[in-house]
Parts: sequence; structure tokens; C-alpha cells
Amino acid sequence: MSTDDESMYTTVDEEDRQLLEETEFDAELGAEMARDAQRVAADELSEVEFYRRYHDRILEEFDVDDREIAIPDPDEVDADDVNAVDRVEEAFGGIGEALRDVGGDDAESRRSVMKKGAAAAALGLSGLGTAGATTGGNGTAGAGGDDGEGTRWGMTINLNNCDGCLACMVACNQEHNLSRGANWMYVFSFEDEGQGDETNFLPRTCQHCTDSPCTKVCPVGARHTREEDGLVLTDYDICIGCRYCEVSCPYGVNYFQWGEPDVPESEVDDDHQIDDRGRWVGSRPPEGVMGKCTFCVDRQDGQMGEDLIGTTACEEACAMNAIHFGDLNDPESDPNQHLAEYRDGQENDTSTYPNRKGHTVSTFKLMEERGTEPNVQFIGNEPSPHAEQVEGPVAYEDVGLVDDRKEVLDRGAAANGGEEA
Amino acid sequence: MSVDVTGVDRDTLVRPIKTFSNRYVAALAVALGLIGVWLFFYSQQLRNGLIVTNLADWGSGGGVPWGLYIGAFIWWVGIAHGGIILSAAVRLLGMDTYQPVARLAELLTIAALTCAGIFILIHVGRPDRLVTSVLPAWPTRVQWSPLMWDVTVITAYFVLTATYLALTIRYDVNRLRDRLPNRLEPLYAALTVGYTETEDEVVERMVWWIAFAIIIMAPLLLHGGVIPWLFSLLPSMAGWHGGVQGPSFLSIALTSAVSGIIIIAAAFRHAYGWEELIPRAVFQGLAKWLGFFSLIFLWLQLQQVITGIFAAPTTLQHATEVKISTPLYWVAIGLVVLAMLYAFATALRPDLFDIRALVGISVGVLIGTLTEKVLFVVEGLQHAHFALYDGVPGQYVPSPVEISAVLGTVGIVVLFFLVVSKVIPVVELHAIEEHEEVDA
Ligand code: SF4
Ligand code: SF4
Repeated sequence: MSTDDESMYTTVDEEDRQLLEETEFDAELGAEMARDAQRVAADELSEVEFYRRYHDRILEEFDVDDREIAIPDPDEVDADDVNAVDRVEEAFGGIGEALRDVGGDDAESRRSVMKKGAAAAALGLSGLGTAGATTGGNGTAGAGGDDGEGTRWGMTINLNNCDGCLACMVACNQEHNLSRGANWMYVFSFEDEGQGDETNFLPRTCQHCTDSPCTKVCPVGARHTREEDGLVLTDYDICIGCRYCEVSCPYGVNYFQWGEPDVPESEVDDDHQIDDRGRWVGSRPPEGVMGKCTFCVDRQDGQMGEDLIGTTACEEACAMNAIHFGDLNDPESDPNQHLAEYRDGQENDTSTYPNRKGHTVSTFKLMEERGTEPNVQFIGNEPSPHAEQVEGPVAYEDVGLVDDRKEVLDRGAAANGGEEA
Repeated sequence: MSVDVTGVDRDTLVRPIKTFSNRYVAALAVALGLIGVWLFFYSQQLRNGLIVTNLADWGSGGGVPWGLYIGAFIWWVGIAHGGIILSAAVRLLGMDTYQPVARLAELLTIAALTCAGIFILIHVGRPDRLVTSVLPAWPTRVQWSPLMWDVTVITAYFVLTATYLALTIRYDVNRLRDRLPNRLEPLYAALTVGYTETEDEVVERMVWWIAFAIIIMAPLLLHGGVIPWLFSLLPSMAGWHGGVQGPSFLSIALTSAVSGIIIIAAAFRHAYGWEELIPRAVFQGLAKWLGFFSLIFLWLQLQQVITGIFAAPTTLQHATEVKISTPLYWVAIGLVVLAMLYAFATALRPDLFDIRALVGISVGVLIGTLTEKVLFVVEGLQHAHFALYDGVPGQYVPSPVEISAVLGTVGIVVLFFLVVSKVIPVVELHAIEEHEEVDA
């Protein structure tokens, strides 16, 4: 599935919302249905699911669900069926029309649609998108497991391939205009018990957890899970900078913008910042707001070209083929394929030991016992509780990065100069 | 132990309003000075952002994103919660002995809550969004975010306390009106608007119910609930998790609040010659409460330390070991132990009891509880379950900007009492007179 312009569904903007509110019917329901209808049209949501999701509430609202769809055989659902939109229209008068206009394949430029969305977000209407998302379970992307519907972006990182060159960190830093020390991608070099002085590596991104504590605790819904593809993002327009997400995350992947960003706003393109719902979630955060790895949301939205959908900057930079990004719900995707191939290459002796599993590859998710359902899986050995960070073959400074952000910040504090962070 | 102060006359009660001394001016100057120092530093934070603090990111950044600001926030909320719980208990259980300090406790609650609010304001990166982001998000977020629970409950209970105060003040102002200064007439008129004596009985009942609500809410929602849940519900930090945080926080709140009340009551007693109005016996009683709450505080600390080191999971064990090897932790514990010992010793040998010593001990307790709270926040963040980060060097020492905020808020509380005591009686009429019977 792609997230190109065709399939882009929009935030229900202020005007439409008012229209909806003027009817005597539940505006919330209308807006939600309209959004999901667009999703059906974009083939991101099955019609069956669409029907199931709203049946009870429609009955409650109108006494009759005159969408009148016989639950179709899922195999026969036409991907291009836009009837769902019409059904909303039937229920809510001409509003579907208005909504479709905003959907704008031509009438409005993508940019102005984004602006509208952003305006709605600023008004806090984006709560529409976050209320459900943060429950973690309702989203099309939320369910986990390989058979989930829609897209669920994730990674397989093969630690056996990583040589600690830090190219991924550099690429991430550049692509997202990060301030010094805000290492959205961070590579640990560590030694572990019983492994002598052999150095291991662990590249650490945000795990884009399906059951993410950071989205649960955010008081304002700025940290949220994007329903369409499971990305965990921060709405820079809403975040109050309380840093609760940061303390609740078990992985330490959040980097607050303590002072002025190193790269000023004027040098960051809107395309990298505003996502397909019109929310400001990409690139480095502004001052006073929380940032972290976005799984290159701008790429996934097609803002950097169709070719780059389904890729990340770190993956691209990794010459060792350690990072594999893609849709975990798609068995053919890079992360799933890589794992399958890697397993195939290391067959277990099942002829002598028929009860053993078919391969000898060890995989893990970071601190799975925390119940976060991370969407990053690793091939290799999990660091034990006794693992200790050591200097790697390439020092952070050698590639122009800062490891200890505190030092940068302290210098900023001493100088009272905002520019330092 | 019951003390009869009903012989004290009304003039004594309004003495702070009637007098004006150099000492008052000096205290005012000190309060304003403290606030000024803080504002000077805070203006730097406003200009440059939170970078002027010594906070940083935990994880690869090697710092702590929550520090003194949050520690002080919990501390002030604790004092506030403890204060109102004590005052509610006095009303609910009819502990007349403490009636002379009940309103002081309520006023302390209002002042301390204000300070807690200030700490939230200066802690967040975008204070300008506190209204625009929080209000629209409230309906959908209140079911999820413990921080939103906090904001909700603290607001609700600020309103409860203010109502409570307003209701009881109406009674007093109406009866003491002839002794109150004329230039504040509009204020008194506003406070007593629509007052008739027939409302006394209704108010009496309302106050009882509010007190009842506060006592019920205390362990469930206030310092035994939403505040510790900010930490104990998270999956990330070994030192924060667990069911003991609720009782532990509540014990710290009560210990701090009694200390605060002792200090403020002693200050008024000393400044206005209120030996009769707030007799020694009140302080002896408060000292016993302080000893009792200190004991519970220490008991809950012991629970945490023992379960944290005996056969605890690796990360909890590590966090606990770090905690007990921190000298500052033992300073905090030591100050509370001292309070407990003093309280129990003077209970046995009342002739050893001295109000000035008790005030000193109380100041120590407040320093101890603030230290414990800050350590709890900071060390919690320094020893996450994700142990690989332990390799990142990181030290947190609050910056002058942060420290000045604690001084500034202390200044605010002092200023608050200085101003309020010139306007309304800070000891209620009920302390010296039985309720007037009213024929309805
Ligand atoms: S890794 Fe942390 S920041 Fe990322 S989704 Fe999980 S909890 Fe949130
Ligand atoms: S820092 Fe921002 S994103 Fe994180 S919890 Fe606070 S408001 Fe939400």
C-alpha cells in the first residue's frame, strides 16, 4: 500500500466540522466516519471493518443503519470502491460532498490542505485523531501480529551485521536537522559478560511501540500513534514540553529541545515537517518541545519522492545491511524478508532433533517484558543486564556527533546562550 | 488533651490587622527579596529557554529531564494536601484543641498549591500552551494521562479549599466587622455578600461534608493517589514502580504539612504575642503528630529499602543500592529521625519541650522531605531498567535558576501570609467562642 496523494485522506477541517455540527446529528461520529470512509476509498480499511465499526453507533443515532450493506465477502471488496463516502453522504446530507472537496485531488493544492489540517490541529480538533489512536488497540495499525490490517512500519535490525561505523547516526542527524547530542538514532557499543572483550553493537531508534507508554501519559495528546501506519509521533503544535513521555519511555529515546534548535526554522522545508494529515510532526522540534525518531515520517508520506516510501535515512546509510525498514504486516517487506532469509541460511539439524525449531537464529525485542510491544526486532544477542557500554571503533566525535548531550546543555546553561542546544 | 482558649477576647484575634511594626516591614522585605531573586533568574529562563537549568535528557544524554522543579512541585503539593487533611480532620473529628491553627492550615494549603502550580508553569517547555493545549485535550486525555489526573484533582481541590475558607470567613467577618479596617470595606462587603445568620447552620453542615470529602479523597486521589501514580505507574524506572509509593507519598505529605503548620503558627504566636490564643499545648500536640507521621515515613522508607536490596530484580536492586549509598539520602532520613526522637522524648518528658526547638526541628524536616523528593525523582531517572545507559556519565546538580525558584516560592508563601493576615483573621472566631445559637 502506498501513501501517495491519491490515497491521502485529510483531517476534517474547521469548516466541515461546523457543517457537521449544524446538523442535529453527532458531529463526532460524522467526522470519524468521513475520515474512515476516505480510508476505505484508499484501501486502508476494509469495508467490512468500516461497517462493523459504525453499525451500532449509527443505529443509535438514526435508529436505522441505511448504509444497507450486506456484509460482503472480504475477497470481493473492490479496492476502489468509494461507496463508503456516499453512504456517509446519505447519512449526513451534503456534508460528504464538502469533505470530498477537501480531499482535494485537484481543487486545492496539497499544501493548502495541509495548512487547513494544521489549523484544525492548532484548534485542538486533532483530538479527533488522537483519542482513538492512543488506546493503541483500535488503530488499523495497532493490532500487532503479521496478519494485521493496513501498514505497521517497523524494523529488523541485524546486530550480527553492524560494525559500529555510526553512519546511520550521521545520516539521521543530517536528515532531521537535529541539534547536537539529540541522537534520535543511537548506536551503543558494549561488552557483555562471558564474551571477553569482544565489542557488540546495538543501534537504537524509537521502538514505535504498539502499546506505547509515551502516548498514554501525554497529557495533551501531542504524542500519539498515527492510526494509518502505527508511527508514534509528536505534534509539535500541541506539545507543552512537560517531558512526561520522556520519563515514561523505557528506552530513553526522547530528546527535548532545551534551547534554540541548531538549525533554524527558515532552513527546514515544510514538506519535511507537515505530515499527510496536516500535522507538524516531522524534522527537529522547535524550542520547548519534545522530539524523537519519527521513522522518517516525511519519507513514508511520499514527501521525498515515491521511491523513498518504505525507507529510512539510517537504513539507506547502513553499508552493512544491518537495518531493514518496512511494513511488518506485509510478509514480503524487507524486515520480514530479511529475517526469513537469515533464518533459512542457518538451518537447525531437525533430522536428528525433530522437535527443535528450524533455525538457530536468535531474535529479540528490547525489554519486551515492559509490555510495550515494540515494532523493532533485533537479530543477534540481547545485551544482558550486565552489559556495559564501551568505546566503539568509531568515536562519536570522529563523525561530528556529540554523545554526552548534557555537556552541550551545561555549556549552554553556563553561557545562558540559547544557541548552544 | 483539651485546651480552653475561649477566654481570649476578639481584640486579640484581630491584632495582626490592627498593628503594624518594623518587624512586619522587615519580613515583607525578605519575602519580596526572595521573590525578586527568583524573578531575576527566571527572566533568564524566559529569554533562553530551559537550557539555563541543569536538566538534560536521560538516556544517551546522561542527564535527567525532571529534577528540582518536579521534586519541589511534589513537595509543595504534599504540604498543601497534608495541610488540608489536617484541617479537615480537626473539623470532622471535632479536635477543638487544634481549632486555633485550622485556618492557618487552610491558608497554607492555598499558598502551597499556588507554589505547586508555579512549578508546573516553569517546568514545562511551552507554558504559553498550558491553556490552549490542555483545555481542548481534557475530555479525551483525562482518562489516560496521570498528569491530567493531577491537574484535574489539584484544581478540584483548590476549589474545595477555597470554598471551605470562604464559607467560614463569612461568619467571622460578619461578626468582627466593627473591628476590621474601613478601607477594606468593599472587600468585606464582597466576602459577606448576601450573608444572613440563618446560613450558619447550613454552612456548618456544608463545611462538614467538604471536610468529609477531603478525608475520603486524601488516600484515594490526593497525595496517596494521583501524585505518586505520576511515577509508580510507569514501566521505565526501577526506583519508581510499585504500590508502596502511595502510602509513602502520603506519609511525607503529612510530615511536611505538620512541620509547615508548626512553623507558621509559631511565627504568628511570636509576632503577635498569641501565647494565650495558640497555647503551648497546641504545639505539644502537633509535635506528637509530627513524631507519629515521621515514624510512618521512616517505616515506609524501610519497606522500600529492604524489598529493594534483599533479593530484588537486578535493576531495582541497583537503584536501591545507589539510593542507600547517597549521603544526601541519609541526611534527609536523619532529619526525620531527629524529629521523631525529639517528639517522642518530649512526650515522655514534657519539661524538655521547647517551641523554638520544635520550630528548628520542623525546618529540618521540611529540608529533609524536599531532599528526599528531589532524590526520588532524580535518582529514579538515573537508574532506569534500561541498564545500558548506566555507562553514560551524568550528574545533576540544580542550577541557580532552579534553586532560586524554591526560594522564590518560599517568599511567595511568606508574602501570602503577611498580606492575608492584614485582611482577615487568620484564627477563626470559633476558636475563642462557641457558635452563636441562631433562631431560624
Ligand atoms: S520507544 Fe519510547 S518513545 Fe518510542 S514509542 Fe516506545 S515508549 Fe514511545
Ligand atoms: S513533552 Fe509533549 S509530547 Fe511529551 S508528554 Fe509532554 S506534552 Fe506530550
